[in-house]
Amino acid sequence: MKHDPYSLTELIRNEAFIAWVMHPDELSDRKWRAFLENNPGKRQTVDSAREYVILLAKDTGRHQPTQKQSDRMWSIVESHMHDDGQKMPDHEPVAVFKTSRRQGWRWARVAASAALILSIGSVSYWFYYKKADGPLQEVAVREETGTTNTIQKYNDTDKPMTVLLQDGSSVVLQPGGRLSYSEGVNKKRREVTLTGKAFFEIVKNKQKPFLVYSYGLATKVLGTSFTIDASSESEDIKVEVRTGTVSVFSIGNLDNSQKEAVLDKPELEGVTLSHDQRIAFSKESGKIIPLPAVATVTSDKDVSKQQFVFDETPVSEVFRILEGAYNVRIVYDREKMGSCPLNATLIGQPLKEKLDVICNALDAQYDVTDNQITILGKGCK
Amino acid sequence: MIQIATSTGETKDHDLWQRIRTGDEQAFTAIFERYHRTLYNYGSKLSTNSSLVEDAVQDVFIDIWRLRQNLTENVTSVKFYLYRALRRRIHVALDKFPSMEEISELDDEDTPANHTHSEAILIEVESTSIRAQRIQELLAQLPERQVEALTLRYFDDFSIEEIAGIMGVNEKSVRNFIYKALTSLRQSREILLISSLIFWLLLFF
Repeated sequence: MKHDPYSLTELIRNEAFIAWVMHPDELSDRKWRAFLENNPGKRQTVDSAREYVILLAKDTGRHQPTQKQSDRMWSIVESHMHDDGQKMPDHEPVAVFKTSRRQGWRWARVAASAALILSIGSVSYWFYYKKADGPLQEVAVREETGTTNTIQKYNDTDKPMTVLLQDGSSVVLQPGGRLSYSEGVNKKRREVTLTGKAFFEIVKNKQKPFLVYSYGLATKVLGTSFTIDASSESEDIKVEVRTGTVSVFSIGNLDNSQKEAVLDKPELEGVTLSHDQRIAFSKESGKIIPLPAVATVTSDKDVSKQQFVFDETPVSEVFRILEGAYNVRIVYDREKMGSCPLNATLIGQPLKEKLDVICNALDAQYDVTDNQITILGKGCK
Repeated sequence: MIQIATSTGETKDHDLWQRIRTGDEQAFTAIFERYHRTLYNYGSKLSTNSSLVEDAVQDVFIDIWRLRQNLTENVTSVKFYLYRALRRRIHVALDKFPSMEEISELDDEDTPANHTHSEAILIEVESTSIRAQRIQELLAQLPERQVEALTLRYFDDFSIEEIAGIMGVNEKSVRNFIYKALTSLRQSREILLISSLIFWLLLFF
């Protein structure tokens, strides 16, 4: 009986073949293309074998932990990191700004590939995978003097979530987004770490730049509004500016002292963007690529697309727009205040500043608790 | 001025390992981020008890941090080290004795027979959805060690040599685990024939 080294089973377990399917390079690709040219009758076998390899990779990788399990494991590991007595006494542990984990990253890739094959049937089709291991997620570590309190906000709902920061800035976190920050005393800068998508409206403070870290990209602003889309599934991070100016730069290649120097400078440097400009940052290469601007379509539901221009607009309508944009509840006396007209342009201002302006015009006060804003005032005459 | 177009930000495992040895928390976090998920996946093939697997994954990392000053400097593959450590942990937790296990698995007959004929059917007739379903069913039925070898080979992308090192068997045994698993795929071809027949019938009517 003759043994065929290119039978289905043999191909599925052939190391060179698996390597070519899972992460082809020029050399392996040339080799297998040549093989197929010389053995056209093997095309179907090769296609089937490819599919089996992908299905096997997908199926053997289906037991990855849930986000909850990941978080649980990390919190236990982390607690052991700091109780081993090797740290300096009387010193707060280093606050680790952890970016969210890449959930099922590789699985998703394989699944996507399987889906691709599914859609084209058994017709032979050549496609490439990217190398299976993505670049390391950048983790920003910083040391704080004084007390720090790292806060993590994770939006596990299917609606946007508004996070109000200590300095009055607001962040609208889209579903699946994760924001972590410290409410400690850092004299030089305000810092948050983001994974997922969020819209930022930042209070102006030239002495204290506001920095957003996401996978090796730092976005630095002095006071403005912008969107960052740093989803774990996407290979790029997108930054889109609504108002003001922001600067973006890769921190993957800076050592700690360089980083400190760059982050602390009050000036904006790196690539600067002004309103309606967009860039994409490749997590893998660390390159920043400008994107064409898109026409803004005003939408009640998307806070980043809102113009917030009010011209003799009844307050009830203003509050309705704010409720939709920030996914908050605003409680007020509709009878007294509802029909009061308001003139204001509130684009780019954090939620609290918007409320300040509105309440000032109405001679009212506001109070924020959890997801509810209560407005108290006498109303207009 | 800041350089914008930078080279890749990827730090090699080896560098991270060196940094962990000097107590760099950032490097440790990075290694955890990179491997805890696939380790958990692998652990799940060794035990169906998810809290046991979680504990084992945690312990592997806790040990690395705790013993960081005594870690070997020249670890050939950090990934390999982690997987082998996890396997030991889980087997200790399950109270398994590797030496006992190995003896029963010593039937190393390597018989790659020619099945080209039956394969032809597999190659031509089968649709992707049937294949996907069959792989899933197959993995549920296979002996643990075969699933383990398949996982390390196809999902975790280890070489046969590395798998042998992790599982504590020789390379020939690893090849056998995989070969047997793949031939099981073929053995259910009668079922396949019927199901594909139904599939095509449905397609035509």
